[in-house]
Order: sequence, then structure tokens, then C-alpha cells
Amino acid sequence: MILFALMLIPLVFAMLVVISPAAQAKTIATVGSFVSLAGAIYAAMQFDPASAATFQLAKTVDWIPQLGISLSVGVDSIALLLVLLTALLGPICVIASYTAITQRLRTYYAWLLVLQAAMTGVFCARDLLVFYTCFEFTLVPMFILISLYGSTNRKRASIKFFLYTFTGSVIALAGLVYIAYQHTQLTPGSPWTFDISTLAETARSLPLATQSWLLLALMAGFAVKIPLFPVHTWLPLAHTEAPTAGSVVLAGVLLKLGTYAVYRFVLPFVPQAVVEYAPLLAILCIIGIIYGGLICWVQTDVKKLVAYSSVAHLGFCMLGMFALNNTGISGSILYMINHGLSTGALFLLIGMVYERYHTRSMKELGGLGAKMPVWSTFMVFFVMASVGLPGLNGFVSEFMCMMGAFQASDAWGSGIWGSLGHRPIGATAGNLGPWFGIIAGTGVIIAAMYLLYMTGNVVWGKLKLPDHGHDHAHGTDDHASKLPTDLSTREISILVPLAALCILLGVYPKPILSLIEQPVQETVLVVNESGRVNMPVKPIESDTKPHAPIADAPAEPAARVVSAENAQ
Amino acid sequence: MMQALNIFSSIAAHAVASEPAAGVAQAATRTITQGETWMLAIPFLPLLAFVLIALCAAFKVRSKLPAFITVGLLALSFGAALTTFIQHFMGPAAAPILHVHAFDWLHFKAGPEAAQGFVANFAFYIDSLTILWMLFVTGLATLIALYASEYMSHDVGPGYCRFFAAFSLFVFSMSCLVMADNLVLLFLGWEGVGLCSYLLIGYFYKKAPAVAAAKKAFIMNRIGDLGLLMGIFSIYTAFGTVEYAKIFEFFRSGVDATGNQIGSSTWITIIIPLLFTIGAFGKSAQVFLYTWLPDAMEGPTPVSALIHAATMVTAGVFLIARMMPLYQADPNLLILSIVAWSGAITALWSATIEMAIFDIKRVMGYSTISQLGFMFAGLGVLTPEGSAFHVFTHAFFKATLFLGVGAVMHGFGGQLDLRRLSGVGWMKGFGLVAAAVFIGSINLAGFPFTAGFFSKDMILAEAFARPEGQIAGSQAVAWILLITAGMTAYYTFRSFFRVYVGPKQFVPGDDAELVDLGRHPKGVSLDAWHKEHGHGHGHGHEHEHNDHAHRHGSYGGVGDARAHGRQDFDPSTEEFDPHPPGFAMKFAIAACAILTIAAAGLYFVSPAIGEGGGWAAGMVRQSSAVVSAEVLSGHTSGTDEGHAHGTFLGMDPHHVMYYVSAGVGFIGVLIAAFLHGPKGWQGLFLGVRQSCDVAPRADKLANAFGPLTTAARNKYYVDEIYDALITRPLWVLSHIFHLFDQYVVDGLVNLIGALPRFFGKALRPIQSGEMHGYAVGMAGGVAVLLILVVLLVG
Repeated sequence: MILFALMLIPLVFAMLVVISPAAQAKTIATVGSFVSLAGAIYAAMQFDPASAATFQLAKTVDWIPQLGISLSVGVDSIALLLVLLTALLGPICVIASYTAITQRLRTYYAWLLVLQAAMTGVFCARDLLVFYTCFEFTLVPMFILISLYGSTNRKRASIKFFLYTFTGSVIALAGLVYIAYQHTQLTPGSPWTFDISTLAETARSLPLATQSWLLLALMAGFAVKIPLFPVHTWLPLAHTEAPTAGSVVLAGVLLKLGTYAVYRFVLPFVPQAVVEYAPLLAILCIIGIIYGGLICWVQTDVKKLVAYSSVAHLGFCMLGMFALNNTGISGSILYMINHGLSTGALFLLIGMVYERYHTRSMKELGGLGAKMPVWSTFMVFFVMASVGLPGLNGFVSEFMCMMGAFQASDAWGSGIWGSLGHRPIGATAGNLGPWFGIIAGTGVIIAAMYLLYMTGNVVWGKLKLPDHGHDHAHGTDDHASKLPTDLSTREISILVPLAALCILLGVYPKPILSLIEQPVQETVLVVNESGRVNMPVKPIESDTKPHAPIADAPAEPAARVVSAENAQ
Repeated sequence: MMQALNIFSSIAAHAVASEPAAGVAQAATRTITQGETWMLAIPFLPLLAFVLIALCAAFKVRSKLPAFITVGLLALSFGAALTTFIQHFMGPAAAPILHVHAFDWLHFKAGPEAAQGFVANFAFYIDSLTILWMLFVTGLATLIALYASEYMSHDVGPGYCRFFAAFSLFVFSMSCLVMADNLVLLFLGWEGVGLCSYLLIGYFYKKAPAVAAAKKAFIMNRIGDLGLLMGIFSIYTAFGTVEYAKIFEFFRSGVDATGNQIGSSTWITIIIPLLFTIGAFGKSAQVFLYTWLPDAMEGPTPVSALIHAATMVTAGVFLIARMMPLYQADPNLLILSIVAWSGAITALWSATIEMAIFDIKRVMGYSTISQLGFMFAGLGVLTPEGSAFHVFTHAFFKATLFLGVGAVMHGFGGQLDLRRLSGVGWMKGFGLVAAAVFIGSINLAGFPFTAGFFSKDMILAEAFARPEGQIAGSQAVAWILLITAGMTAYYTFRSFFRVYVGPKQFVPGDDAELVDLGRHPKGVSLDAWHKEHGHGHGHGHEHEHNDHAHRHGSYGGVGDARAHGRQDFDPSTEEFDPHPPGFAMKFAIAACAILTIAAAGLYFVSPAIGEGGGWAAGMVRQSSAVVSAEVLSGHTSGTDEGHAHGTFLGMDPHHVMYYVSAGVGFIGVLIAAFLHGPKGWQGLFLGVRQSCDVAPRADKLANAFGPLTTAARNKYYVDEIYDALITRPLWVLSHIFHLFDQYVVDGLVNLIGALPRFFGKALRPIQSGEMHGYAVGMAGGVAVLLILVVLLVG
């Protein structure tokens, strides 16, 4: 029930916002988002990490039994983490909007809460149509947030965002419905069902050719959302035009709907096709990393720079996913959370400056280190998290995604990589390999280039502020004057939890890594068993010679058990 | 003189017996013991300092408290390192490997099979190599923090907090780098020191060159880091672990986890060490990745002394020494040959630049690159002992030299141009500085019986002693190094003779423009220059008003002079009163100088293992960095005299190198005295220089070389070449990508979006809503796709 409650709480509060006076909207939304957060934490405490791969807290209510559609929810540890991320960003987005949004408050906060409910629904869904409904429904609140509260070009951005992603997902729906249809065909007499686990088994049994078409259809929907390289152009526009909270949600959670959908629907549904086309998909990711990164480097609009950086970052995330091994997929899942934290924080920071100076152009802004030291400290911190500095969260996931791609090759042990004759112990089955890791690795240098270019201009250097004489179609100077020169306590209070999580996940990622270990292992086994039918995975020949024991060396990872206290 | 030679011979005899084979046998069986938990204080006290200073910044502390915290906690950290050394590493031949576990860090399954687990903990591996590094890292950091407490005093407040926070964080990162028990924690330290270097180079963040230099340092380091990262991935893939203890175990047994011979895999013997080497080149500013280090001199001088001379830049040497078992796995030692050649070429290349440029701080910067080249060459010619000892001695004498330069900057308003300073050593309050710099200089120049002499000599002798064919072209490497040693002596004393002795003349600096040599044609007379300078100064006032005070403050002296309300400051006259260093700075300089002298004594401490090379060599031989006897064989002078043993002109290099390198050093110093020495006894009766800016002989010689001098003064235009070949094209490419993205990728999308509208208009010209058009297109597209899917698949 708690999962239904998680979806309902924001909706109830959205209702309350609508029926209350506008002056109360802020307060109600804040309370609502905190209640959701508390609910999510409660749900996490109910979750049993010992069986992280099973869908817990599950609940099924018949919806349209004739078509086998039911309101079915349940979370495994991965979905739970993303629910927690959504719930965490909720209050942050609401609080960040206190001064930025001055008109039509009720509409704004109500839709923000509705958006949160829809996103939670996506992660909790155990029925394809519930998933799809929530997945598509996220578009409506986002469309409204951008088109009503965005910047100058908001109309175009919102329409493009809506239609682009909607078109993609309709194609994905076609694929999903086709799988349900095949289910009735392959098992004669069985009723229609949209249960995800059942359909996954059906889809896996389809031949490679069918799976390939399904892959194309599913990726048409999900790749747009992520976004992968050729279908990313809605993102910079939408990000740049969206209000701050919109950008935070967009980067923090909405993009993750795509990556999560790939993990949930592409990998277990069409493993043969994924294995077949993994190199192709990985190349798209790498193009995204390098191409997106280089484009960041020549931006003058700070927000657009960070928006494009999402293309590069999500490239890393999906590269790990398509490595199809434990390292890569775990890294990819961790990346979803980490990107939400660090990029979300960067958007918040940019929003804070925009509120003060009404510009995001590096031609007009610069050297804020002298004027806003607290803001600058946070900026440098989150830039470092984003650039993948070890000790902060970004590093762990980036490291794992790259290493996943690096390991995943059947070619290990032959050719220029050695004359071992068989896979060495650290390599996994797969068809990416070291070159994917190395070429993607140049993205790490490019990330340093564009992020330090931004820092060098905005934080360091001579102080440069826009002329206040001619400005602003918005005409919101009145409230800007209320803001202190440097960050207010309210602004600091929303950045601190994000910063703390960045450090925590960078220094002690172990609980989360062990929490997601089991479901990832199951996915990898599914991919290996039903995806690599033509090239079965040979186990690594184990060493017969014992090694000298090493005093106080940590226990062999094989012997590790996910313990309850670790996972919380 | 004869006595000196006799002592030489006795040392030489000592060194001849240098035969580590016995030691290797002892070192081969190493056990790992659990270290005491208090050893965690070595890395974590600096981290505590960082946290406390961050709190100081949050609570807006405006006193010297951050400096006291830093000095105090770093001193305790040094104390912990020293205690560890005394308790565990004094005496016994087989030093222990201490393993201290702090907490679990990266633990994940790296593959579906049970054996595929990835473990990289926050745990520390303390062997004699580690402790050798930690002693000078924490010790020097404490002294330099003390120095900085005065040097940075113009900036007490937020800047002071920022400085010492980054300083402490640097020491923590460096400790992680050195003490890590696995490669990923090393990488954490590796990038962490890069971050601190970035923050500290860019400390004067209002100065555009400082910001650019910081960015450049970080990005160029990242190129190397990528190599290191890929090396780590490769190591994991090959061995299923990134922990040193396990990796070394595989190398010792010669087979990997699946029972394959390590030596038979070119990927392990060539590619992995190559990747690590690229990483080392980035951090230690070698070969094509060196250009960030001279620019890093934009940072405050204590930072240059600690990070960009003594500690961080030696991380590359440490990495190769740490991973020596990996480098030795290749029977042809190909990568070590590359390391040797890279080091030698870098040493020579940067030495030629040093001889031409006028900025005394940049001279020291290039000198660091050159000395690092010596260390790399030492690693390449199989003497990690010599390299590590040189790292150790270099840390002290280069820190001394930098602290001296800092005192001069502090005193003369940021003046760094050696043509604007003369006779500093004779000025009130600068005697100690000059004496310390003299000690540093004789070490760098390789005067007999100095620490720098012994450590450099170990590298030179081994380079000549390599048997033919063991390290490709080791004789050539040795000759290049020898020539470079002479050039080193020359450029070191060129600065010394110009700045510290001679007639007392100076022009105080006022801002960065003064040291921008491009604006002042060489040979301009002092008076003419004064006029030009006075003008330039006024000009600067108008333009730089915003951060004028800061620019002055950044160089210490002038800012202080003004802050103290002195009336005498006016750069266009000579009434400027040099500002001598205070107690903290003097103490730190003197301590460094004394330690530099003392370091020479370490050469005479008999090593724990093997013979010759002194204490540091013993420490290296007790660690995994030792070159195994099998690899060294061919160089077994003790048992197999003459067999394939490399020679210096037919003589045993171990005997003769002391005289040769001492002689080369003397020649370098004499040339410096002849060209730059002042008239009179200070120039040892050789010099003719009578004013600070004109050294007739040197100028004549420089003119004779013409374009070569100009090229060297412009650093051979390497930055410009990189800019033209890499940065600009990449920038253009990025713009092309951006346009491509806007007009092609997005253009196609818009075109597809517009098509239905077009059809919609054609069919129903009355309705033309944009939403409508898109929706029609969308629905049509979906229908087409559905039909396609059903037709093709069904």
C-alpha cells in the first residue's frame, strides 16, 4: 500500500494547493513534498535488502481485467533508489522555487506535485500499462511548467519537448503492445496480460529478428528520453528554457525514466538483440560523450552548457548499461542517481545566479568568486562532482561505467591484448572491450575542459556583471532585490543535503553497491543465458594454485553477503 | 684537494660493491602485517585540518588560526610518520609491510562469476618506499605551511582559509596517493593532488594568467590520468584485483590467476606499463606533457615549493617505482628504455630553456622538470634507488631554492626578473636567504659532498654502467644526462650570481607585467627601463584599479609595504625599502637548508640491504621497488667484473663518475661566473658585470646565438604549437559540431516535424495550428511504424 500512498500523497497535496488561496501554495507544496519524502523513507525502511532482487511492497488491484490490465506496483532495490531520488528532489525543487516563481503559484506547485506522483509511478509500476501511463503523463506537467514559467523561448521549447518525446514513446508503446499480443499468440488460450515479468519471458523467447525490431521500437521511445546522440536535440532547448525547478526535475529524474526503462524493459525483454547491437548502441553513447562534450565547450550560455553536458553524462551512463556486465550496469544505475544529484545542483546554482542577474551568458557574467564566495564554493564543489573527481559521487559511477565497457569483451586474452588464450579473470563476456573504454575515457578530459572553462569564466577571473540599465522581459526585479548578494540560508539549505550526499556516495558507496548487487546479477544472468545463445559464455578457468594469504586482506568478494545493516 | 679525492675514492670503492643481489633475496619473501590503527593519523590528520579550516571559513575567522591548525596537525602527521619509521623501519634488513584498514570503499561485483569481485578499500600499505616518501612529504609540508603563514599574511581572512584548506587537503591527497594499498585509492590521491594544485595555482583568481594556468594544469594532468585509469582497468582485467599485495604476488609467482605466464602476454608487459607511464608523464611534467608546470608558477611560492617542486610532481616517479615489478616483467625492458629516454630528453630540453629565460621562478620551474627528467632516467636505467634518493634530496634543496625565491618576491614587490635584481644577499635582512639559496644552489649544481651531488651521481653512474643492449641506448642517455648536469650547474649559478651577489641594485616589481619579459626588449638600460616602467606603472593603475590592491598583495611585499603605511614606496625611484622575511619564513628557509645539508649524510648511512647508495637506497631495496637480481644480471660487477658492464670511456663509471660529474659541475659554475659574475671577488675574479641589468659577456653570447636564444626564451613556442595543432582545431571542430547539431541534427527533426504541417496545409488549408501539424505527423508516423512492425515481424 505504501507505494500507492507514495503516488497519492503528492496528488492529494496538489489538490490542496489548487483549492487553497495562492498565498498558501508554497507552504502546502513544501509540506506535501516533505510528507512524500517521509513516505519514501518509510518505504525504504520496509524494504528487505536481503532479497533486493524481488519486487517488494507489491500490491495488485484489478483495473481492466478483461484486458489483463491491473494496477500493479512493487519495487526492487533499483526502483526503490530512484523513488528515493525523486522524493529527495521534491522538497528541493519546491524550496528552490520560493522566490523564482511569482505568478500563478497554485498552478505551478500543483503541477510540480503531480509531476512527482507520475515519476514515482513510473518507478513503482509492475504493469506495462501503468508504467506507460505514468511515463507519458510526466509530459503534461513538464509541458506546463516549461510553457508557463520558462524563459523567452519557452513556447517552442515546450512544444518540441512534448511532441518529440511523445512521438518516441508512442512507438515504444507499439512495441510493448506487440509483445503482449505475441504473448496471447504463443501461449494459446492465455488471456491478455500486461504483467512485466510474464511479458519479459515471452519477449525473450522471440527470435532475434523480432527482437531486433522490438529493440528499435523500444529504443525509439527510450533513447529520446535519455537522450542518446541523434535524438537529443530537444534536451538543450527544454533545459535552457525551463524554470530552475523544471531543469532540476528534468535532469534529476525525467531523463532517468529513459535509462530506467532501458534497464527494465530493453535488457530483460530483448536480450538477444541487445547483445547483437550493443556495440552500435555503445558507439552512439560514445558519440554523445565526445560530441556532446565538445559542444559544451563552445557554449556561452551556462545553462545550455550544463544541459549539453547531460548528453555527455548520459552517454557514460548508457555505455555502462550496454556493457551488459555487473560493473557496467551497477555503474549505470549509480550514475542515474549521481547525475541527478550533481547536475541537479548545478542547475540550482545557475538558477540562483539567474534570479539575481537575469542572465546566464558568460559574456555578461564572470568572476563571481569575489562577489559570491559561498555560491562559488558550492559551484566548484559540484563541478568537481560532475567532472568525476574521486572521493565524490561522480567518480564511482563513471569509473564503473568505463570499466564495465573496458572489461566486456570476448576478445580479451587474444590478439594484441595478450596471448593468454582465454579470458583473464577480470574480463566478462561481451562485445565492447578496451577501445570503448579508452575512447569514452577521452570524455573525462573533455569534461574537465568544458566544466573548468565554465568555472574559469563564471567563478574565477575579473568580476563582470550585466548592465542593470536595459534588461528583462520578465520584470521581476522587485523580488531580486530582496535576495542577498550571496546565498541566503534557504538556498544554502537546499544545496547542503545534495553536497552531503555527493560526499557520502563518493566516500562510502558500498551500501548502495551491495543493495543493487542482486538485481543486477539477475539481469546479467538473464542477458547471458538468453542473450548469448549463439556464443555461450564459457566460465573462466579457475586457478588451481592457492596464493599466499594476505594478512588482514578483506574477505573475498564472492563470500560477501548483502547484509541488512549494509543496505540501509 | 688530494684529501678530497681520497675520500672520493673510498666512497667510490663503497659504491663499487653496490650489489643488491643479497638484498633482493631477502626482500623476496615479504609478509604483510597488520599495522597499528594510530598510523591512520598520517593521512587523516591533514584531512582533519581541512575540515577545521572549512569550519573556520564558514564561521568567517579572520585571524591566522587556519595556519596554526595546519602547521600543528601537519606536524603531528609528520610525528606519526616518523614514529612509524622509527618503530618499524629502523634497522632490520627485511622491513615489514604494514597494512592498515580504514574503511571499505569500492566493493562491487565485476562479473557474474563468484571470483569476479572488485575491492578497493580506504586502506593503507606502508612499506619502506611509502615511508620514505611520507617522511619528506609531511615534514616539508609542515615547514612550508609555517613559511606560508607569514608569506600569505597579506590575505588573512577568506583567502587565508582557502589557501590553508587546499594546502591541508593536498597533504591528505598526497598521503592517499603514496600510502594507498590499491591503485584506485592511489588514483583518488592522484586526482586529489591535481584538484589542490588547480585550486592553489588559481589562488590569485582575479589574474587571468593564474586562472588559465590552473585550468591548463588540471586538463593536462587529466590526459595522464586517463592513461593511469586505463592502466588500472587493465590490471583489474588481467589479475582480478587492484590491490598491490595481490598484484605483486602474481608478478612474483610469474603466473596470473588463471595460470598463464605473465611474461608471455605483451598486453601485460608492454601495454599496461605504457599506460602507467603516460599517467606518470602527466603528473611529473615529462616529455609532451610538461608545459603545465612552468605556468603553474603563477601560484603562490609556498605552493610552488611544496606541490610543484618537492612532492606532487614526484608522484610519477613514485608510481613507476611502486609498480616496478610490472615494469620488470618485460624481458626486453622496452618501456623502461622509453622512460629512460623520455627523462633524458626532458632534462636536456628544459635545461636549454632555463639557460635563456630571465624569470628566476620559472627557472626553478623548468629546473624541476629537468631534475624530474633525471629521476625518470634513473628509473629507466634500473636504479630506483638513485631516483628515490634524488627525489628525496631534490625535495629539500628545491624547496629551499623556492622558499628563497619567495623571500625575494616577498621583499621586492614580486620582482622575479634576474635583470632587475642584484646583490640581494648583501642587503639588510637577506643574508640568511642568500646563504640558504647558496646551499640549495650547490646541491642543484652538484657540488661535491652535497646531497644533490650524491643522488645525481647514483643515476649518472648507473646510466653509464648499464651493459650494452640491456636498456636501449643507455650510453646515449648517460651522456645526455652528463651534459645536462653541466648545464644545470650553469643555470643555477647564473641566477645566483645575478641576483644574490654583485652591486646592490634592484627595481621593485609592482605587478605581473614586470615579469612579462616579452614587453621589455633585452639589453635596455636601467634608466630607459625606469622611464618605461614608470609609465607602465601609471598606466596599470588606471586599468587595474579594480583589483589593484590584490595584485600587489599577491606578491606580498608591496601590499605589505602599503599596508604598513610606508611612505617610501614608489617603484619609479629607488627609495623602495626591501621587505626582509620575518621569523616564520626565516625559520622555514633555514630549516630546509639545514635538512638539505643533513640529507648528504644519509648517503653515508649504511643501507639496510645491499651495499652502497646509503639510507635511501636501502629503503628502496627493502620495498617492492627493488630491481630483481635476474633483471639486473649483466650488471654484476662484484661477481663478474667487466662482463657486459657499461663503461665511461673505458673506465668503471662507479669509480670515475664522482670526478666527472664534479668536474662538469665546476665547469658549469665557472662559465656562469665568467658570464654573469659581478666584477671583483664575488665573481671569483672572472666576472665583469657592473649593473643589475647588463651582463656584457652573457648578452653578447646570447646575441651570438640569435634565433636560438629567442626560441629558447619563448620556450621553443611549444605552447603556441600545441595551441595551433590541438586546441585551435578542436575548438573549430567543436563549433562545427555545434552548428551541425543546430542545423543538421535538429534541422532534420524540425523538417520531419514540419512535413505533416506541410501536408496538412496542402490538404486542409484552413487549419494550420502548429500543435495540430505535429500531432498529425506523429499519429501518421506511429501508424506507419505499427504497420511496418506487424508486417515485418508478424
